[in-house]
Amino acid sequence: MALLEVEGLTRHFGGVRAVGNLSFTVGEGEIVGLIGPNGAGKTTVFNLITGFLRPSAGQIRLDGASVVGLRPHAVTKRGIARTFQIVKPFLGLSVKENVTLAAFLRHPARRDAEAAALEVLQTLGLGPKSDGLASELTLADQKRLEMAKALATGPRLILLDEPMGGLDASELLVASSIVQQIRKAGVTVILVEHVMKAIMRISDRVVVIHHGEKIAEGPPARIVQDPNVIAAYFGKRAS
Amino acid sequence: MRRLGPWLLGVAALAAVPLFVRTSFFLHVCILVFMWTLLGAAWNVLGGFAGQVSFGHAALFGVGSYATIILYLKAGIAPWWGIPLGGVAAAAVSMPIGLLCFRLRGPYFSLSTLAMAEIVRVVALNWEWATNGPVGFLITALPPLRILGREVNWESKEPFYAVAAILALMALVSTALLKRSRLGAYLAAIREDEDGAEAVGIDTVRSKVLTLALSAFLAGLGGGFYAFYFRYVDPDTVLGIGLSIEMVLIAIVGGLGTLGGPFIGALFLTTIGEAVRERIQVGHLIFYGLFMMLVIRFLPEGIWGRAYRFLARRQAGVPRHGAA
Repeated sequence: MALLEVEGLTRHFGGVRAVGNLSFTVGEGEIVGLIGPNGAGKTTVFNLITGFLRPSAGQIRLDGASVVGLRPHAVTKRGIARTFQIVKPFLGLSVKENVTLAAFLRHPARRDAEAAALEVLQTLGLGPKSDGLASELTLADQKRLEMAKALATGPRLILLDEPMGGLDASELLVASSIVQQIRKAGVTVILVEHVMKAIMRISDRVVVIHHGEKIAEGPPARIVQDPNVIAAYFGKRAS
Repeated sequence: MRRLGPWLLGVAALAAVPLFVRTSFFLHVCILVFMWTLLGAAWNVLGGFAGQVSFGHAALFGVGSYATIILYLKAGIAPWWGIPLGGVAAAAVSMPIGLLCFRLRGPYFSLSTLAMAEIVRVVALNWEWATNGPVGFLITALPPLRILGREVNWESKEPFYAVAAILALMALVSTALLKRSRLGAYLAAIREDEDGAEAVGIDTVRSKVLTLALSAFLAGLGGGFYAFYFRYVDPDTVLGIGLSIEMVLIAIVGGLGTLGGPFIGALFLTTIGEAVRERIQVGHLIFYGLFMMLVIRFLPEGIWGRAYRFLARRQAGVPRHGAA
């Protein structure tokens, strides 16, 4: 059985259909890329899966159990963590406290939570900065902090919303190695990303959506050749 | 716990004040400072720690006042039982208010609390069967009480001084405990980013409703004490918007989200207010406003917030950002 099953997922905003009848599955241990042109509905899909939005129709199951209708904190508790495209660090708190707050979910005692937080921070290379304020981090580090917080909740599945957006070439390398590290740690990954090169290199499988519908799915090498995908990104050639 | 010494010293000094100072005006100002410390702390729990700015705390204060005075006048329950029951009543009333208002965020939340408080005031004004309407309630005599074999003299200020000091201390201790708790940490996350807090698994609604209940309990104690001390309660004095605003001012002037802030804010504003009130009726609010502007302009983290940072910087090894 797949870890995550999305079935007929639909969401309307008034008369606009942001996501329509979307179905896909993610297997345990996979890295799946979710791509599509601007406004395709990628972030909406994340918001639906994590409970920030309620689906108009459709089913979302983690390990066979529906997570539809749960509030975001409850979805996180079930084992789905996420990052935000526009990072949401707790700016006025220290880096360590940011991650400790997330670790409280699995470690009710502060001492245990802090230990777990430090471990995650070491793994992601933020150890030396853990005493500083979150507001003092660079964008690249804030994106890393975002991942650290998600990981500290002890997820089985992590949804990364553009963890590489706005990063320079060397930061990109670090970010993609972090994503691979996350998978190595036994966490399944869904990745929304605009940086094609990165997503094609690290994803096992790619799901392409356009106007909220799935237009292609498969291994990266095949996706880049797919005429539907090319049309969605570059427009159809006038005949 | 190394900071326990100065605290104990402070408490001892507080307890000794009425032994040496017998001017009733001075004791009256002290009593008001304690009452406003309690109220500032009540507001600060929700507004400072959780970042949920309420303009409606007068409703909670008023419910506490009415509960205490009605329990005494109609059921004969002495105010020293009535005050905590007033806190409980306020906490109970806060639950439905919270469930309604917490659907909204930021300024919309604040406005909804303001509307809620006005609704409570108008209800109190018109529901004559329960509240006596605009006439209100008056306590003509407090019940006799003997402590350590001595009759308590309700016409003196000392017993009220003691009760107010205990309530204020209790408020400060409970906020300190809250701040150290897991809920306290959650509140900081909610204050910084509510979606971010949900995303890491924090039940933000539950945390906010619990915090509001604590805040309401403290505000209700303050209201109960008010009824006990002033012996008179009517809708405009215990449910007016002015009360809500004064709680906000005290918390901000003292230092949002700090432990000592409410006491410092109450100390400054009450002293100024009472000094001015001698000459100009309700003029104190003008000075509150002026003071507030000065603080926001020059000490945005509040008097206590700034003082604490200053002290922390001078003591090496104390983390720069560990708030008071």
